[in-house]
Amino acid sequence: MINFTINNQPVTAQKGESILQAARKAGFYIPTMCYLEKTTPCASCRLCVVETDKTDGLILSCQTPPTEGLSVTIDSDRLKQERTNIMRLYDVNHPLECGVCDKSGACDLQNKTLEFGVSSQHFSAKDQPRKIEHWGLINYDPSLCILCEKCVHVCNEIIGDDAITLQFGGYKSAVIPKNSDVLDCTFCGECIAVCPVGALISSNFQYSANAWELSQIPATCVHCSAGCSLSYEVKHTSTTNGEERIYRVTNDFEHTTLCGAGRFGFDFAVEGTKKESEFAQATNALQNAKAIRFSSLITNEEAMILQSLKEKLGVKLYNEEARAYQNFMSAYASISGKLGFGGSIDAIKQSDGIIVFGGRITTDNPAVRYSVTTAARHNGAKVVYMHPLEDDLLQNVVTQFVKYEVGTEEGVIAMLAKTLLNHSDISEEIRGYFDELDEGYLCAESNVGDEEYAHIAKTFVRAKRKTLIIGSDVLHHKRASNIARLCAMVEIYTEFSVVVVAPSVNTVGVSLICGLDADNADENVLGYNAAGDYTLGSLGDVNLRMGSLNQQEGTFVSLNYHVLPTNVAVGFEGYTLNDLASSVGIMAKNTIDYTAKLPTSKGFNGTAFDELGNFFGAFWEDNRGYMLENRDIEANGQLEEIADLPEFNGTVVYRCNPVNQFNGYTARSEQLEKEATLRGSAQFAAAAKISDGDKIRIEFKAETQERIFKLDSALKGTIALVPTYDSTFGTLHEQYRFEKVKIMRMGSES
Amino acid sequence: MNHEEPFTNRNVSESSAYYYVDIETYPTAGWDKFKQVVKRTFNGELFVGLWVVLREMIKFDIHTVQYPLEKLPIGPRYRAVHKLLRLWESGYERCIGCGLCEKICISDCIRMDTRIDENSRKEVTEYSINLGRCIFCGYCAEVCPELAIVHGQRYENASEQRAHFVIKDDMLTPLDLLKAGEQAEYPGFGAIIPGSDASVKKTPLAY
Repeated sequence: MINFTINNQPVTAQKGESILQAARKAGFYIPTMCYLEKTTPCASCRLCVVETDKTDGLILSCQTPPTEGLSVTIDSDRLKQERTNIMRLYDVNHPLECGVCDKSGACDLQNKTLEFGVSSQHFSAKDQPRKIEHWGLINYDPSLCILCEKCVHVCNEIIGDDAITLQFGGYKSAVIPKNSDVLDCTFCGECIAVCPVGALISSNFQYSANAWELSQIPATCVHCSAGCSLSYEVKHTSTTNGEERIYRVTNDFEHTTLCGAGRFGFDFAVEGTKKESEFAQATNALQNAKAIRFSSLITNEEAMILQSLKEKLGVKLYNEEARAYQNFMSAYASISGKLGFGGSIDAIKQSDGIIVFGGRITTDNPAVRYSVTTAARHNGAKVVYMHPLEDDLLQNVVTQFVKYEVGTEEGVIAMLAKTLLNHSDISEEIRGYFDELDEGYLCAESNVGDEEYAHIAKTFVRAKRKTLIIGSDVLHHKRASNIARLCAMVEIYTEFSVVVVAPSVNTVGVSLICGLDADNADENVLGYNAAGDYTLGSLGDVNLRMGSLNQQEGTFVSLNYHVLPTNVAVGFEGYTLNDLASSVGIMAKNTIDYTAKLPTSKGFNGTAFDELGNFFGAFWEDNRGYMLENRDIEANGQLEEIADLPEFNGTVVYRCNPVNQFNGYTARSEQLEKEATLRGSAQFAAAAKISDGDKIRIEFKAETQERIFKLDSALKGTIALVPTYDSTFGTLHEQYRFEKVKIMRMGSES
Repeated sequence: MNHEEPFTNRNVSESSAYYYVDIETYPTAGWDKFKQVVKRTFNGELFVGLWVVLREMIKFDIHTVQYPLEKLPIGPRYRAVHKLLRLWESGYERCIGCGLCEKICISDCIRMDTRIDENSRKEVTEYSINLGRCIFCGYCAEVCPELAIVHGQRYENASEQRAHFVIKDDMLTPLDLLKAGEQAEYPGFGAIIPGSDASVKKTPLAY
């Protein structure tokens, strides 16, 4: 705690806080143009200057921490003059096109120009020819750019793409793609979000609506399990069509970060009508159904309805993805004694040592990737990435890449646990278990040497806040339960907190609410956004159309065990699952009546939907929904012997979607790139005897796919990436993500 | 607390200027009624009126405006059906699609569709005003920064329907009329105040 004064009023600051942060918390206003709470200070606008009694000149409050007893003045005449002059300089030759600019009405420059009363141009500079850049989903107009560098900082420190940089050249300065002529990045669009003026703008949105015409619907992103907060911005479709549609997605960029799928993949709403004959058929199908198969693209309330249907009609519930997660977590809890793991996305951001194991987080869960990047950039975190495939997108942050053989996750996690538990205070029995591991065999089969584990041990000696991120590869591993137990060992006996990356938006919610049965593919299955004899939902060509997740209100449980509300952005005229359940006697007026009835035994606290907040406070207070209570349960699990490690030889593919693609919703989105090729390295091409651009047939155990093969120079090794988002229901996690397949070149077989 | 407004006393009283009109009592008996009808019919009042009409007719000095064929000129500040104007030199539409008219419209009757065109400029693809709701207040013309939307002189908006729209094509000056110099500038609502050039400050330019 540091005590100092602002304008002679006493203020206290926490250690590590800047004068600006302390002032804002105490309610003092210091204007800024380039300050972003989530990055290191850009210090480019110089509006935040303050005077102190210990310095002669003006100092930047955004990057200066206060000292004990310091006396700070934030609004003297000299400061006012200084700030007004800065605003005058910002306005020199700034195009007077507020009339058409998309930022007008929500523009920092506009606001501050009015605030400081800059009504005419006092200085002059010869304007430069500046070309508007078209970078795919992003348009950049350098003449509107005020060079605040927020975009550069976010791209580098939070996202980790490091794709843009500032070209210094005095008045000719501009933002340019780094080391490339065109922008080559993951198109998260966070640069658009933070841009205080209209320089960086979504090319799809540009000039289609004004900021003040759009109504903001606070919601939760439905594409991955991070449950990012976003706002759907809606307006009537056109002069002749009064139906509302989503024009863009924005986020509270001071507190949250959104990936490209959340920002650009919003147009997945469907249209539906009420036809009684169709509804009667659906009711009939439900009454005759032996089982309901459903995907995790579902709200907690609907999951609750399905569970009620199970209890009332005796149907089975199939969801292999959530069942795998459920099994994994119950094995985990049997060691840890807690219902859930202890880590969170915020804990990752605070970490200074991170191990990512068994999952390609850059595409599976960008929010986890961004928090890893944040930790690496802000805390200098050491990041160990353990996966059979190297990831190009992580190369800026990964300090050690550990490549293991496909299928050997159990051996690797056992060795990792042994390494991390080496100095822990554990029982004789557990010590004995780890001592008895056949290290030679495990290291040889997994192809991870002793020295790599030794290096990991050395890396984490000094780290204080450590996180182990468990990817979703292991959920469907044959030995998932034992892997879970070993992970739990790491959490309870070391300083590591563990985060298990759940696959879909509400895998966690489904796993908590529904009693799931093993899917034995029997007859009379009702499919809700999943395959079945009679299908409902918003994906694929279904028998009864139901609303998409942006047409429903309800809650999700994020991978953090955070219950998050979402709202209706686009209207839906058809039937809901609640209508269907009501027709068989499970009555509720609205789907959200179930929010308060979610099982308290799993940590839900019974809050009604309308009581849930969905916003952030000015100082990072998270007022979105509530956190599940992490309940204690009996820890009676036992570690099992490591099974023989399987071998995957020949042509192996890894189910993995390209960047910004997750499910059937993103596949439907107009703006997102829809590449659906098999991507592999030159080494893979040689092994499979195929070459770039070949039309191929891939024979999986369960199905056959026809795809184009694309040679990807960023990939290495003998594993190719096959997307799943473009299948009917877009599900990724129904089986182990690696599979040995037969690949044939089409045309060559005849 | 007991504040009383000093109202003018308009109550009917002896001292006021009001007086009761002396109205004859109506006849009630049948015979009296008949006598009144006969009296009114034959005292020739009808011919007084007929004579005035006949006299004016044969004078051939009629002041009546032959309305649908002939219209009175209306004042330049009259706020009738809107027009969208074009730039004189280039013929481009003046409207930049800023949306201020849509925002300021108090009866919420203006809507427009905009998009980005091939030259990265904002293009107004459709513009409509619901005249059934428009109260012709003139705010749209006043707020328009480009003098693009103005009130024209066409005041007839009879329609079979309550919702009666003008769309962009109806309002925009046709190019042939523009070339013929027939686009009128209106000195009315929202136009530049005469002599406002003098109050424009010159921006310093470094050329």
